Amino acid sequence: MKTSIEFSHKIKRTQEDWIIDTVVYALAIFIFIITFYPFFLSIVLAFNEGKDATYGGIYFWPRKFTLDNFAELLNDPAWGKALLITVLRTVLGTGITVFFTCLVAYGLSAKNLIFRKFYMGMVIFSMYFSGGIIPYYMVIRSMHLTNSFLVYIIPSALNTFFLIVAISFFQDIPKDLAESASIDGAGELTILRKIILPISKPLLATIAIFTAVTQWNSWYDCAFFTQNKALRTMGYLLMSVIKKSSMSQSNMDSYAASVAGGTITTVSVQLAAMIVAVAPILLIYPFFQRYIVSGLTLGSVKG
Amino acid sequence: MAFKDYKISSGILGIFTSGWVGFKYFIEFFTDYNSLGIIRNTLVMSILKMIFTFPLPILLALVLNEIKISPMKKLVQTASYLPYFISWVIVAGFCQIFLQSNGVINSFLLNLGLADSPIKFLTGSSYFLPIAVITACWKDMGWWAILFLASMAGIDLSLYEAAQIDGAGRIKRIWYITLPGIRSTITVVLILALGNLLGGGLGGSNFDQSYLLGNAGNIDISENIQTYVMKVGLSSGRYAYAAAIGLCQSIISVFLVLTSNSLAKKFTGDGLF
Repeated sequence: MKTSIEFSHKIKRTQEDWIIDTVVYALAIFIFIITFYPFFLSIVLAFNEGKDATYGGIYFWPRKFTLDNFAELLNDPAWGKALLITVLRTVLGTGITVFFTCLVAYGLSAKNLIFRKFYMGMVIFSMYFSGGIIPYYMVIRSMHLTNSFLVYIIPSALNTFFLIVAISFFQDIPKDLAESASIDGAGELTILRKIILPISKPLLATIAIFTAVTQWNSWYDCAFFTQNKALRTMGYLLMSVIKKSSMSQSNMDSYAASVAGGTITTVSVQLAAMIVAVAPILLIYPFFQRYIVSGLTLGSVKG
Repeated sequence: MAFKDYKISSGILGIFTSGWVGFKYFIEFFTDYNSLGIIRNTLVMSILKMIFTFPLPILLALVLNEIKISPMKKLVQTASYLPYFISWVIVAGFCQIFLQSNGVINSFLLNLGLADSPIKFLTGSSYFLPIAVITACWKDMGWWAILFLASMAGIDLSLYEAAQIDGAGRIKRIWYITLPGIRSTITVVLILALGNLLGGGLGGSNFDQSYLLGNAGNIDISENIQTYVMKVGLSSGRYAYAAAIGLCQSIISVFLVLTSNSLAKKFTGDGLF
């Protein structure tokens, strides 16, 4: 065996290897730069004085460091309120989605459930086919969810994709565990709470993380299902700022237009808002990224 | 609802009580003077995104798979799927800040003398599609690469050793071992992508891109079926008409999933269901 390894070492570095390694590493560095640099530059620009930034030429470090952009943002009651609503919907929405998805999945994972085929058919049908946005809006409206905080939480309480993932996860848990507990006198709820959920922590973490990110980022429901100013989310406010400045993009002055006559511009506040919107994701990213791969491969099991 | 003369004032039950109008709204949409442009925009955008967002994750996974320095591989991979977790709103914000007339890209081009005056990336219709395709690749490439990379990790290492002893170079090993090894994953992802072709394929949402990056300057290219449904449905209140257009799209999507699935079964022997 040893000789074959040595042999492979000897023939390893051919000209082809050199070329491929160069291309591969160059591409890897290029990919790293294009994904990382926009975030980096936005952070740099958000900490720079807005007026100063309009002269351009800032690529790697703030020229005139300031926290004014963030102060302006947090002093604006609309943004403060939006931040609160967003945090609230993220926390509540995530909790409720995890709760309902697990509960329903546990029920559906029981092979002897009556009408199981029918329920599963409904779930799968709704995953592949949707009536479109208008019928969806009609349902929301007729349930009086428009202009209410609940529109952020109730429609997403059951996530069909994670439901299917959770069902296959629960079915992989050995039956003996649940059986021995039920012999000891545990009811279904106790089994779920004391036995199934503790060993399903990776699954729960995956569902929670993906739901939380979706909730945090969403702007769509706020933009189309509510008119109530008190319910604006971060995503929506950002969206409207971006839409507004995209409309006035044609004249260059709009970029430099000051908000309060100080060193702040609309763009620098927009940048600060973007940083606030991205920061939580960037901060928890190192912790949740080990669940990302598992989440994706869990999902592909059903294929 | 798409086949009915529905008015919002009659409430949810109005769906059942209002009169049938048959295919009236479908005919109206297909004979509308600008529907052709909207359908064309949707198709062009979807197909362009498909062409670029489908092979790139495979390429990225191959590149990552060839990196032997483990921390570097991890760093690049982690960075590459970070954009998947930020919303299109933020991506649109990036576009706006970097691409505006005195943004980074323009000042870079001016400094290098590649452009005489700032290029109006955001309002020119000819720039919308490239921006949409590039941002779609940027955002979702790393995400799908995870799947391909996971599947590459499952390939038996002895195959590579055997090939190496037989004198196969790196390219040959990639071509004859790695790619066939992830064929079933490619099939599954392709079916998923085709099923969501009109919604944006692997490259995120067509609606988000068109809605956020679209403006009066590029509406002739950026308006697609989804934004149009939103416009006539929720903004102009023509619910039944908009529902009819939305239904067309859903039916096409289901048809695409079923077709691509059966084609995949026929040619590669495995499908999604």
